[in-house]
Amino acid sequence: MSQSRPIYWTFMTLIGLLIAAYVLFPIFWLILAGFKPAEELTQLPIAFWPSEPTLAAYRDLFAPQTQAAQLLDWPTLISNSFIVAVSSTVIVVFFGTLAGYAFARLSFPGRDIILGGLLISRMFQGAALLLPTYRLMNAVGLQDSLVGLTLLYSAFGLPFATWIIASGLREIPFELEESAMMDGANRLQSMVIIVLPLATPALITAAMWHFVGAWSEFAFASILIESLDKKTVTIGLASFVDYFTLEFNRVGAAASLVALPILVIFFFGQRYFTRGLLQGAVKG
Amino acid sequence: MNPRADRWLAYSMILPVVFAVLAFIVGPTYDVFTLSFTRFVMGQELGFGTLVNFRALFSDPLFMQVLVNTAIWILGGTFFCVLLGLAIGAYLAVDSPITTALRALILLPWILPDVVTAMAWKWMLHGQVGILGQSLSQIGLTDRPISFLGDPDLVMWTLVAVVIWRKMPLVALILCAAIRSVPQDQHEAGKIDGANVLQRFRFIVMPHIAFSLTAVTVISMIWITAEFTLPWVMTGGGPANASQIMATYIYQQSFQFFNWGVGAAMSVVNLVMLMAIVGLYLYIMRRSWASGAAP
Repeated sequence: MSQSRPIYWTFMTLIGLLIAAYVLFPIFWLILAGFKPAEELTQLPIAFWPSEPTLAAYRDLFAPQTQAAQLLDWPTLISNSFIVAVSSTVIVVFFGTLAGYAFARLSFPGRDIILGGLLISRMFQGAALLLPTYRLMNAVGLQDSLVGLTLLYSAFGLPFATWIIASGLREIPFELEESAMMDGANRLQSMVIIVLPLATPALITAAMWHFVGAWSEFAFASILIESLDKKTVTIGLASFVDYFTLEFNRVGAAASLVALPILVIFFFGQRYFTRGLLQGAVKG
Repeated sequence: MNPRADRWLAYSMILPVVFAVLAFIVGPTYDVFTLSFTRFVMGQELGFGTLVNFRALFSDPLFMQVLVNTAIWILGGTFFCVLLGLAIGAYLAVDSPITTALRALILLPWILPDVVTAMAWKWMLHGQVGILGQSLSQIGLTDRPISFLGDPDLVMWTLVAVVIWRKMPLVALILCAAIRSVPQDQHEAGKIDGANVLQRFRFIVMPHIAFSLTAVTVISMIWITAEFTLPWVMTGGGPANASQIMATYIYQQSFQFFNWGVGAAMSVVNLVMLMAIVGLYLYIMRRSWASGAAP
């Protein structure tokens, strides 16, 4: 591919810029809308840059009296989402590590079938389970509760976390553990002292993937949560659908807030994400 | 290290995960099958062992439209997702500073929350003040802005375009990795034999990535089938049911019309379809699955 280099590289650069624009522009345009004054949003021709960038939309979001807050209190939404995402991440990493260790290190009848079954169960977490999940949560009294949502998200996230952690553990040489056990450590001690520190990258990967999924979930939260004080950020953002054009700067501001934790994790945890992808995203 | 003790230790360690999956996935799947054969009046169960729900579903005038829309959604979405993913993956496989940066950046649409993606595209596609419609009419391609989400003939394909943006990045990365694993000496041999870039792609790269391509096609199908939030927040199945797909229909019947019988019947249709796709996936992956290797 070395013939006529300047033309070749110009061409390559142009395609690259085109792909970057395709991937980034929708996000950029949404974030930009959050900084525009409301009247500029309905102006034609469209003003690309805000004439005077303003934080008014963000202020309105947090001022409980304005119509933008529409009964939903954004600080509450944000804290609810954090509570659910963080606590289900803790649950998923803890039980995922236990199970991941068993799948990676111990041999028992049915091991591969069970692990395969867990991964396949992920593929069925769609709209078809909305109705029975609603019935289940009502039957056990966990509807309209953040605890119920946390447990549900943990159940949905556990198979993938188990898989990521098991794959990470398989890369750690068994001899390390074996020698610890020779020296008199029992299995639990050798797991906690020797294996877990080495498996930290896999644990971080599992935690990040789960946090992103739990923070972003909308469908099940929207059917299970009824009280205004228990709604999550995705429900809050989706409820803007009815207020669309007039208040799009507020939609832009709210959407940027919802995306913010994800963007932070994405930019700082890049290598863990790619690791998770290459290891197991193809498994469903 | 007694194997018997190990076995019990292992079972107790995996118990919470297995229990969670049985309680929240296997149990509900069984429940929705039972529900679909149960007669409901106003949310009251009135007897099991009936086909009324399926009869009501199949005689709903919307049913055919939902099937057609779902076919466009899944088949159209998968086809263009893989096509675009292959093109971008082939580009990303070239070594250069731009492609290295893009390989990291391109995942952004993949990890953004669906609700955020839905809002971003709704805003760009807005019928009056959307930048996409405005730009097209300004450069003279259309005489007035197109209402992408308001036009019943366009709305389904507009949703497909958005789901491609959302799902294509991972397809591109997987195919990029597959293309990069083609041994360099095969490229060299092709060059010496006088094959041009396209011929080398067709006869050296394509056979090498054929397996990844098949696997990624089926897996995209599963991803797109599972996608509910994007179409729901963008159109809610509208305008006038023009973008009603199985997922949105299930939600509407179950939680807006409280028509649990029909909602359950459609859920079962959806699950059976999903099982067929997952079966196809397992068949394709039968060799690599056991060894635990990703394609």
